[in-house]
Amino acid sequence: MIRRGTATDGKRVLRLANGLQMRTGNLLAGCGLAAAALILAAWSTGLGLTDAGLADLLRALTGGSLSDAETYALLTVRLPRILLGFMVGWAVALSGALLQSIARNPLADPGLFGFSQGSMIMIMLLLVIAPVAPKSLVALAAVTGGLCVAGLLLWLVGGERSSGLSIVLLGIAVETVLSSFGSLLILYLPTETSIALSEWLAGSLFQANWSVIAAFTPLFVLGLVGSLLAGGATSAYDLGTEMAQALGEPVARSRPLILLFAVVLSAAAVTAVGPLVFLGVLAPHIAGFLSPAVGRARLLLSGLVGGMLVVAADALTRGIAGGLPLPLGLSLTMVGVPLFIIALRLQALRKLQSH
Amino acid sequence: MRFLVSCAVAAVLTASPVFAADRLLTDDTGREITIPDTPERIVVMHEPLLGVPLMDLGLELAGSYGRADDGGFVIAVDFIDTVLGEGKAKPKGFGPVGQPDLEKLRALEPDLILASELDAGKVDQLSTVAPVYLQNISGDKVHGFDIQENLAALLGREDLFEARKAGYMERVAELRAALPGDAAGQTYLPVFLTDQINVVGDSSGMVQALEDLGYTRLEVAEASTTSASGGSMMLMPLSAEVFGSLNPDILVLLNSYMDSSRDEAGTREKLDRIVPGWDRFMKPALENRILFVDPATVITPTVASAEHMLDAIEHWSGQAQ
Repeated sequence: MIRRGTATDGKRVLRLANGLQMRTGNLLAGCGLAAAALILAAWSTGLGLTDAGLADLLRALTGGSLSDAETYALLTVRLPRILLGFMVGWAVALSGALLQSIARNPLADPGLFGFSQGSMIMIMLLLVIAPVAPKSLVALAAVTGGLCVAGLLLWLVGGERSSGLSIVLLGIAVETVLSSFGSLLILYLPTETSIALSEWLAGSLFQANWSVIAAFTPLFVLGLVGSLLAGGATSAYDLGTEMAQALGEPVARSRPLILLFAVVLSAAAVTAVGPLVFLGVLAPHIAGFLSPAVGRARLLLSGLVGGMLVVAADALTRGIAGGLPLPLGLSLTMVGVPLFIIALRLQALRKLQSH
Repeated sequence: MRFLVSCAVAAVLTASPVFAADRLLTDDTGREITIPDTPERIVVMHEPLLGVPLMDLGLELAGSYGRADDGGFVIAVDFIDTVLGEGKAKPKGFGPVGQPDLEKLRALEPDLILASELDAGKVDQLSTVAPVYLQNISGDKVHGFDIQENLAALLGREDLFEARKAGYMERVAELRAALPGDAAGQTYLPVFLTDQINVVGDSSGMVQALEDLGYTRLEVAEASTTSASGGSMMLMPLSAEVFGSLNPDILVLLNSYMDSSRDEAGTREKLDRIVPGWDRFMKPALENRILFVDPATVITPTVASAEHMLDAIEHWSGQAQ
């Protein structure tokens, strides 16, 4: 049973029978973003050397036949890139949104806390020691690296009464040390190894295939379920640690769990496509501009925007860049940063007009 | 449901591509692969280390990673021109460096993809197009022109390689006899200049030629303790202080490919920026024991590069006499 109502701030809400409620604006924004993601994905299926696109894909789905080249382009190259790109973008954006709530800082993301760097350093060390290491070992190294950084950060931050600011400051310190070590590795490794690592660090969806998607899908579902479970806690953390405690949030237990959740999402994304710098900051801000939200709605909207941004960045890399080398990390910046600047500028103008 | 079936078919095709294959072998990383008995459309993932050795044996390449769609090379030096001479047909590219384009690669219709152990992470995706053979290129696993010899054996070109090598060994014998002193027991040190000093690794025609003439590599403590297994052309960087104290019987200096002037003047100028005044205190410089070589001609692991090195040594020894 769903009933319409009005929240205390005057915004329209939909109330579920179990007491949960969601703002109508957030719901519409979510539907709009999902539709936009589908349109973007449909456009992206047509980008590439082989002359095939959405119409051919639909023809195949309805029993029509495709040539070998069309089947390869659509089902082996393009569709896996689109699906994996969306899921990875979702994971990084969700990780950023969770960390921003815990740290109560809009700049927090897996990169700022050093989680991405922890995963990267472990993967780099593994690839130096064993260049032909299996992917499962690479994924394990990424999660281990991220968890080591998270553990170190929790230990450094101390008890449950520590503020979000101390997490951010210690995160920046850890990130700086790890980034320096990463730069040292790149600089002093033999040329070919450095080039191989640099290619991976720049980010790429080249590895996207159905087995990687099959491995990432449970995590994507976990992210979806986790964002529903952790959403309530994040809205309490948005008010500060002490207020969250006052509202009954078990900070000593829920903060490490949310941190662990964010690390696993970030490490999985790093393993799949390399580090996607700044996406954890970009996506929640753009989502917040499109439809201000808290809790579960904020996490879900952030995930949708993150997924869309990566699909758009991949489309730019594959289609528009032509023969130019345009790594995913760079195209993501080219797509996301202008949107980020526009969103922040419009927000500033809105505030000016309201005063 | 149909969509799921299509995806499953794609996954199965991806896992086991069907080719006219009739030879099962194990590559340098221990993977078992099936390749055509006589591959006709070969694509390489590293042109200087894997492509040029094949072209030196008379094979044509269908594609090469790092080339543009029109066959132009994306870095400053085109090794096919510098090592094998101009006028050779150039292989086509399949995407810019860092972003191999699988659709373009498939359009080249390769029946064998040659890659190095450093491409191990790309194997799953490349294998959706053609069988992938991983050849070791790391300096601690291959030496001189071993890579070319291994590839010749892989592709049934042993006779051609042996003929090339026999001609080269004749020149080695002639040059050794013509050198002013006995090279046996004398040391050499190849140094590549980027924005720092790097000791060159063991896998190149240059090293093969020097060692076939009887020279032995000068062991450098700093480089040998830090040498890593991932590189082929370079070992580790060398500090200016350590470099200044070295005294090999022949110091081989090579300027970066990225510099337009890779001759003696350009190389001297480059080294002067890193170690100012080096030519006023280093013994090899004071005693005229420095050989300036263009790396673009001698760095590939080929008989052709070894022959270029013999030319350079012959010219240098003629000047020294």
